[in-house]
Amino acid sequence: MNKKLLASIIIVILLTLLAINDVIGNWSDIDGGFENLYIFFTEDLFPPDWSILEAEPNLECSSDIGFFCSQAWKGISETIQMAFISTVIGFIIALPIASLAANNLYPLPVAMVARVILAGLRSLPSIIWALIFTIAIGFGPLSGVLAMTLYTIGYLGKLQYEGIEGIANEPLEASMAMGLTRSERFVFVVIPESSNNLISQLLFMFEYNVRHGTVLGLVGAGGIGKYIDTNLKFFIYDKAMAFLIVIFVVVVIIDILSMIIRSYVTDESDFKRPKWWTVLLPSDAAMKLHQRNGHQD
Amino acid sequence: MDEIPLSSKSEAGLDPIIQLRKLEIGYNKSLVSNINVDIYPGDRIAIIGPSGVGKTTLLRTIAGLIAPVSGEIANSYTARGQIGYIPQKLGLVRHSSAKNNILLGARTRKSRFYPPFLRIGETLNKEVDLLIDKLGIANISNEPVRILSGGQQRRVAIARALIQKPKVVIADEFLGELDVANIESIIDILLTQLENIGATLVMVEHQEDIARSIATRIWRIDGNSITEELVP
Repeated sequence: MNKKLLASIIIVILLTLLAINDVIGNWSDIDGGFENLYIFFTEDLFPPDWSILEAEPNLECSSDIGFFCSQAWKGISETIQMAFISTVIGFIIALPIASLAANNLYPLPVAMVARVILAGLRSLPSIIWALIFTIAIGFGPLSGVLAMTLYTIGYLGKLQYEGIEGIANEPLEASMAMGLTRSERFVFVVIPESSNNLISQLLFMFEYNVRHGTVLGLVGAGGIGKYIDTNLKFFIYDKAMAFLIVIFVVVVIIDILSMIIRSYVTDESDFKRPKWWTVLLPSDAAMKLHQRNGHQD
Repeated sequence: MDEIPLSSKSEAGLDPIIQLRKLEIGYNKSLVSNINVDIYPGDRIAIIGPSGVGKTTLLRTIAGLIAPVSGEIANSYTARGQIGYIPQKLGLVRHSSAKNNILLGARTRKSRFYPPFLRIGETLNKEVDLLIDKLGIANISNEPVRILSGGQQRRVAIARALIQKPKVVIADEFLGELDVANIESIIDILLTQLENIGATLVMVEHQEDIARSIATRIWRIDGNSITEELVP
């Protein structure tokens, strides 16, 4: 191994150990920690209390199906709605700022101003924005939506301008030589060329906002987090655990859906994938079927 | 090229559309210097020379994409859409359809204040369809460019440049790695259309025989200088 690389690895390991030692301070504090964790898991968290999936009498609800009147549904659907609104509004606002921040479209001084705005919005995590908005406009999902929208603008804007800067230079150059205006270049060259990235980033941001939306309730900004917060405050850990499992399942489902959608917005999607059940057919028959569907390889 | 060549066009009293004076081109260092030349309407100029001598740099300088090291370029095509540019890698929007790429050229015929969200209008749209037909790409006009063959992409790039009705078409080795049949057909289409709109062609071509079959003037860059030869 290269000596410099070896030295760098040793330095990083040493720094990590020093930092751990500094952070932990007194190692005896963690004595019995694993046992406590085991007891917490086996006695307090498990089994989760699935009553959260049943109709909640105190909730206003017009549905005949009990699940749709449950705390779990109310909480997670509110979180998803908050994430959806914030992602869409954040995307719409972020895109023009990102175009100003891309230095293959605008000169450096303009790009720097736009980047500073995006960095400013990104520097506070959404939970801090949520705290600010709950103070300013009160508790509830609106504070959560505003918090996530601001963070989305900062975060998505950065992903977008990096995506825009990554597009091929030739179409931009050709359009410049042709005399197209900046707005025409943005609409007809930049957006189509970075569309796959934009859609992929949008889906990523939605996933991200759903995950982060779950904690905004801890500061009173709506969503499923408020139920977790209440249960934790009253030491009802088995219910809190059930909420966490609901969040986990929803995040996994959104992740899978987003992966499937993203697979259609890559260049590779030009190749139509064979249906999954064709794996059960002999290879000749599967190939014939694929070709009959119009896909000549 | 120290002396400004007297062509029959200057004798005929035609005004040049591009004048390069004491032009020195390059990026960080000078590649070619002291270029003095006039380009007239209808000229077909091919720039030839070994790799790395500055052919593309000269083309990009004429297109206004990079500033010259020194000297000046006087031109009469400053208005929008008067340069049809076909870069080496064609510069097409890969995720847009062939027709949308061509419409991009058509937009330059509208004012620069024409909002991007407005369609270009029925008359111009019909003109685009007609050109698409002439170039033999009607069957693929709605396909995204990324799935088209090299020959089809080149036709799209040519259509995008020609629909502008430019004064100058600037093309950088746009025939690429095409087969002979495709090259002949594309040259044929290009020359006919150039003649129809009366545009000037300035191109880089590394194959001299192809350059001679298209051009009326050949500029050969060798070392730091450029020489001109008229093709009979």
